[in-house]
Amino acid sequence: MPPDDASVSSITDPGSGTAHVPAYVLRVPTGPYRSLNPLTRFVIAIASAAVAFGVRGWTGPLAVLALTAALALYAGVARSLRRFVLATIPIVVSILFINAFLYPGATDVLARIGPFAATGTGVTVALQATLRVVAFALSVALFSLTTATDDFLADLENRGAGRRLTFIIGSAIGTVPAMATRVTEIVEAQRARGLDTEGSVRRRIRGIVPLAGPMVFGALSEVEERTVALEARGFSAPARRTVMRVLPDDGAQRALRWLLGLGSLVAVAASITGRFPLP
Amino acid sequence: MIGIAIDGVAYTYPTGVRALDGVDLAVRPGETLAIIGQNGSGKSTLVRQLNGLLRPGQGRVLLDGAEVGRRHVAELARLVGLAFQDPDRQIFSGSARAEVAFGPRNLGLHGAELDRRVAEALEVVGLAGSADVNPYDLGYSRRKLLAIASVLAMRTPVVVLDEPTTGQDQRGFGRVRAIVATLAAEGRTVIAISHDMRFVAETFGRVVVMRAGRIVLDGTPADVFAEQSWGVLASTYLEPTLAARVGARLGVGSTPTEASLVAALTARM
Amino acid sequence: MTIRLAGATYRYAGARSNALDGVDLELAPGSVIGVVGANEAGKSTLCLVASGLAPVVVAGSLGGSVTIDGRKTITMRPHELAQRCGILLQNPEAQLSGTAVTVFEELAFGPRNLGLPLGSVVERVEASLETLAIAHLAARDPARLSGGQAQLVALAAILALRPAYLILDEPTSQLDPQGTRLVGDALRRLAAENRTGILVVEHKTNLLDRLTDSVVLIDEGRVVREGPAAEVLGDPALAALGVEPPPRARIRAAIAAAGLDGTGVTDALLLELAS
Repeated sequence: MPPDDASVSSITDPGSGTAHVPAYVLRVPTGPYRSLNPLTRFVIAIASAAVAFGVRGWTGPLAVLALTAALALYAGVARSLRRFVLATIPIVVSILFINAFLYPGATDVLARIGPFAATGTGVTVALQATLRVVAFALSVALFSLTTATDDFLADLENRGAGRRLTFIIGSAIGTVPAMATRVTEIVEAQRARGLDTEGSVRRRIRGIVPLAGPMVFGALSEVEERTVALEARGFSAPARRTVMRVLPDDGAQRALRWLLGLGSLVAVAASITGRFPLP
Repeated sequence: MIGIAIDGVAYTYPTGVRALDGVDLAVRPGETLAIIGQNGSGKSTLVRQLNGLLRPGQGRVLLDGAEVGRRHVAELARLVGLAFQDPDRQIFSGSARAEVAFGPRNLGLHGAELDRRVAEALEVVGLAGSADVNPYDLGYSRRKLLAIASVLAMRTPVVVLDEPTTGQDQRGFGRVRAIVATLAAEGRTVIAISHDMRFVAETFGRVVVMRAGRIVLDGTPADVFAEQSWGVLASTYLEPTLAARVGARLGVGSTPTEASLVAALTARM
Repeated sequence: MTIRLAGATYRYAGARSNALDGVDLELAPGSVIGVVGANEAGKSTLCLVASGLAPVVVAGSLGGSVTIDGRKTITMRPHELAQRCGILLQNPEAQLSGTAVTVFEELAFGPRNLGLPLGSVVERVEASLETLAIAHLAARDPARLSGGQAQLVALAAILALRPAYLILDEPTSQLDPQGTRLVGDALRRLAAENRTGILVVEHKTNLLDRLTDSVVLIDEGRVVREGPAAEVLGDPALAALGVEPPPRARIRAAIAAAGLDGTGVTDALLLELAS
């Protein structure tokens, strides 16, 4: 019996007419921002990152920050984005410190702490640098928070990316949670044979140390078997893989992607050649 | 020699699955007990309550009269040894020898005494010749035996084996049976989960049938495979052994094993 | 149109001796052949060689001849082998793709790789879910299945390829008695109705007793016994060769040894009660 919530949707495949693929497989993304095609969201992230780092001065990074924040609110991921911001704090603080106090050649001193002098130039550079880092981090975060890996890869494959490439990316990303699960299992097994990992932090660390070897051995032996299994399921067949999931796209989004791509290239080029009009 | 008391234990996984729904079980010191039931009936969940890997949501577990309580898993590991169903979730060392040595070393053994303990355990499971082999170069069934060896080396008063005969050939099967017999002769309490009805009938003094998180049948193999229990077994998709079915058909009483069938037929002659 | 091994030998790359040492075997459409033997006798190697994956994917050297429907396996590409011959290896979790979000997509993996029309892909997935009674797992994450569930999903994924031949290496090892029976019935139906040729390695000789037409016993890379299932599984030398005889054979032997012939334990009775 199919699951109760499996509403069946029809999708049209040019090769075969209509087929009934369950909704839980089609997983058409809905909701503000998420309903954009994954490639569009990807181009937004790349263009933002390019402008954040490639455009000198304040305008570039500030514009990206503003845009990303607005999109995050629109997509409803603002709270999660805040966690990313907090995660960048250590980098930000070190950049600030290093640039403010140790910027070479600056003479407009604002304050002194012992032998170290904070210069106006240094502080400006520091603030801009931290803005860039945060803007970059947030645009990447926005993409990953609103985009399921499988959606992006399925869309790429539909556009012609080889099945091997998408498989490698997909399984690499999937490896992380799989490894985490395996670590938990092994620690459990160690505890069941007398290794005390509960209680103090030192004890917890002791549990993790003997793990590297077995993780690798187990993973390697599985890779061998998995390769054979993949071939046994026709992985290297020459035919074009059947399209099962289609992520919607439209002319407006295509135009937007071109616009963003070209626009960010122009902005970066202008900045490099010193012709960027804004501060 | 220690006994186990499981007292009204219920357990629900974080995913919401209620795996144990009120289990009462008293195991006498030195008893050999088999737990049978469908996949998902709660067998593995139940045995994990014994060494603290899982803690009861309701009820309590007592080992040797003392409540398991919040004692650390590592401490309970001195009392209850558990060989996991999937050896690859348990094995983490680069050699069979190192794998077996891990447990006893945690218990404080070292030097010559540790080496002796390890050698003995490897011998018992037939892996003495593979002591320095990487576990992943051994086949699945020998890795399973290795997992059992690493628990045996800890010489715990209670030994729990989760599906020990899966994937074993005839020789491996014989080794597992001999291991259970030896542990029982040493007075240890042995608990095994198994799908192999013949293994269960021939090797254990007591059988417990689980269904949907509860115990629905509890007795000797003769009780559990007797004709009047077949309805309960069928309700959880289990079948009595062929020997039991033959004995019932010929009207010689409950004969769960081939030996008991032969004995009953001989007696009738 | 069969899978035929003639004097097949196989040595894994870097190994010092042959894992298969001269095997003659023929798997015809609609027949079910059981393979028994001690662990490390060469059963798994036989599976890899018969399906062509060795040496086409698994490095090693093949001697003798292995043909599928008249074509030598060494001349075939992996996907050509996959289309004719479905193989299920021992470790279920290593056979899942690791990239499918749901079991449905896991089962669709094979048919999609072959470029089949979408309607056909969906139909095959649904049929496989139905055959192994796992439709309730269709929306689940394949990475979060129990060992037994993963084994059924891995088998279903192979069935979705609708191969003419199935080669299965211990397909019920993680299953409970109900699951084992279900797989046995499904295989029997496939052989009878779809004329699928099935080679199945098992330790559960009682399953083979019910399921197979003939059985081969492998020892040290060679076939040392072959014949009708009842005959091979009833052979008194089975235990010495590392194989547990099925309950029927054991009881018959125990009755005879105790001089209890004539007490009503007839072959017919045993056959009736064992099925």
